Formats: sequence, structure tokens, C-alpha cells
Amino acid sequence: MKTDDLIDALAAGLQPAPPARLNALLLACAAAASVAAVAILLGVRPALAEVLSSPTTWMKGLYTAGLAGAALWLSARAGRPGVDTRAPLAALAAVAGLAVFWGALELLMTPGSERLADWLGRTWTVCGRNILLVSAAAAVPTFLSARRLAPTRPAFSGFALGVATGGIAATAYGVLHCPESTAAFVATWYTIGIALTGVIGAVAGRFALRW
Amino acid sequence: MDREAELKRLMLRGLDGDPGAWRMLLTQLRGALTPYFRRRLSGLEADAEDLVQDCLIAIHAKRATYDRSMAFTAWAYAIARYKLIDHFRRQGRRVDVPLEDAAVLTAEHSVEDGVVRRDLSKVLSILPMRQRRLIEDVRIGGFSLAEAAARNGCTEGAAKVSVHRSMKALSASVISHED
Repeated sequence: MKTDDLIDALAAGLQPAPPARLNALLLACAAAASVAAVAILLGVRPALAEVLSSPTTWMKGLYTAGLAGAALWLSARAGRPGVDTRAPLAALAAVAGLAVFWGALELLMTPGSERLADWLGRTWTVCGRNILLVSAAAAVPTFLSARRLAPTRPAFSGFALGVATGGIAATAYGVLHCPESTAAFVATWYTIGIALTGVIGAVAGRFALRW
Repeated sequence: MDREAELKRLMLRGLDGDPGAWRMLLTQLRGALTPYFRRRLSGLEADAEDLVQDCLIAIHAKRATYDRSMAFTAWAYAIARYKLIDHFRRQGRRVDVPLEDAAVLTAEHSVEDGVVRRDLSKVLSILPMRQRRLIEDVRIGGFSLAEAAARNGCTEGAAKVSVHRSMKALSASVISHED
């Protein structure tokens, strides 16, 4: 096709284009899929009502939801060509940094004999694996939510969407299933699990996010 | 007029669904993209033309990702650079595409083109505004006579006469300058 004809074809029947965003409906699907995956694959904690009224549960959820929020902000900006991504990247680092700082502070104030138990909890060996498992259910809708965008760095955008997936999955896992409640545990094992989803997302993004 | 401001104005009108502005923008971008890709593909004409088309399609399909508060050139440049990198990757070549200032996209025309542009606006400045707009739309913007007439609020016949007179006046002025 000649370029002149192409231009004519593109201009003919042009529709107004409202700004492209992440698809909120698909993100809600990702959250629902995470909740379903926890309920079906891992099981919901007994005495959930009691768990939900505890502030430590909410701090845990707030941390992972904060990571998800910052990562979604990063995904949205990285999906717009030529837009600066330093602010959301800094926000993401700040959320993780705050949790690590808090966890370290908590360990310092814990008597030496209890520190290791505090840090490893009872589930440190399965925490990362479970977050990956739940993420598998949330990944497809999360990545699809960015379809209207135009990531010029597919691996970087894949990392951002991977962290967002991990954050959403970990929030469902942390609130509904995980029995741990120390900041040191969450800052370490949750962060590792979500970082892994980020790495997997970066690899997937190189292929899945090309346009 | 400032090139960035001009392109951005067309982009905003295109986003609102104005096909004439969109055609004009794509035509101008084509002019900017062709030398950009040609130079970076070291003269592979056919590849460069394919990439220009690819890039115009991408700009069209992804126009909703443009943020109205941002510089238009930065957005278009990021897409062009992405398409270039993607092209190299598809060929299995690992070529480093340095991140340049977005202005290379519109400045690529070389000095000569800038001079032509300046000369052109100097020559056009002898015309009354209405006549000038018509001739810019028809001879530079790529509009048909009917479209240009509609844009400037006159009949097609009147536009035809006006363009004809303008061309006469312009060539007379150029000749008198050369003497």
C-alpha cells in the first residue's frame, strides 16, 4: 500500500479518542480471581471475622495494596510513550523501603531469643510460593488491563505489571489466608514473593507487551 | 509558526475526531519520519518506507495514549524509536539505539529544509491572510479544494480563483526578487 493511500485510509472515519487508561474492570477481575484462588486453592482462615478486625491484618493488606497501587501507577505511566516514570518508581521504592524500615525497627525492639522466630514465622518457606500461585490467577487480567496502552519498554512495563499482579495477589493472600502478623515477616517474605512476580512479569512483558 | 505548537494543535484536533487535521498531521509526520528512519537504516529505502507506514499506523492506533499536557514531539519520538528498536530486534540484530533529544524527529530535515520553510513563509507573507490560509491548506496541507473552501468558509469556485490568483502573485514576487 502506498503511504499516501494509507494516510487517507487512516484519516477517513476518524473517531474521537478519549485518553487511554488501565482497564478498571479487568483490574477488578484480577482482584476477584485472587480472592477465588485463595479460597479454592489455599482455604480461608478460620475465625475470619476476628482476623479482619485486627489492625495487623490491615497493616499487612495496606502494604501489599500500596505496592500494587504504586505499580499500577508505574504501569499506566510506562504505557504512555515519552512520559517520565521517575515519580511512580520512587513511590514504589518508598513503599517497600518503609516496610523494610518498619520490619527492621520491630526486630531491633524484639528480645534476641525471639528474633528468628519473629522473622521466619511458621510459613516463610511457603509464603513466596503461595503468592506466586495466587498471582498466576491474577496475571492474565492484570496484563490485559494495559492493552490499550503503548509500552515503549516492554520488559520494564512487564516488571511494573508483574509487581501489580503480585501486590493484588498478596493482598488477598495476606488478608484471607496468611496467619503471620509481624512486620519483619511481611517486609521480607512478601517483598521477595512480589519481587519474583516482577521479574517473571519483566520476562513475560518482552513478548506479551509488544505492539 | 513553532513546529511543536503546530503539530500539537493538529494532534489535539485529531484526538477530537477532526479527519482533516489528522490527515495533515500524518502527512507532516511522514515528512519527518522518512529521513529519521532512512538515516538510521543506512539507506535501506524499502525498509524505511515500511517503518514509516508501521509507525503511522502505531501513531493512529495508539493516539489515545497521548497526554494532552505533554509535548507532542516527545510522544511521537518515543513511538518512532520504539518501532526502530522493534524492527532491529525482529531482524535478530542487536543494535543500540541511543536516546536522543526528541527534537531530532522534527529537526532531521537538515538545515536546507529550515531555510526553505523560512523562505516559504516570507514569500507567503505578501498575501492577505484569507488567501494565505487557502493556499497553505491546498498546496502544503494536502487538502482538496472543496475541503479547503469549507475550512475557510467560501465556495469551491471562489477558492479556486483565489488560489490561482495567489500563485500568480507569488510567482510574480519571486521573479521580481530574483531580478
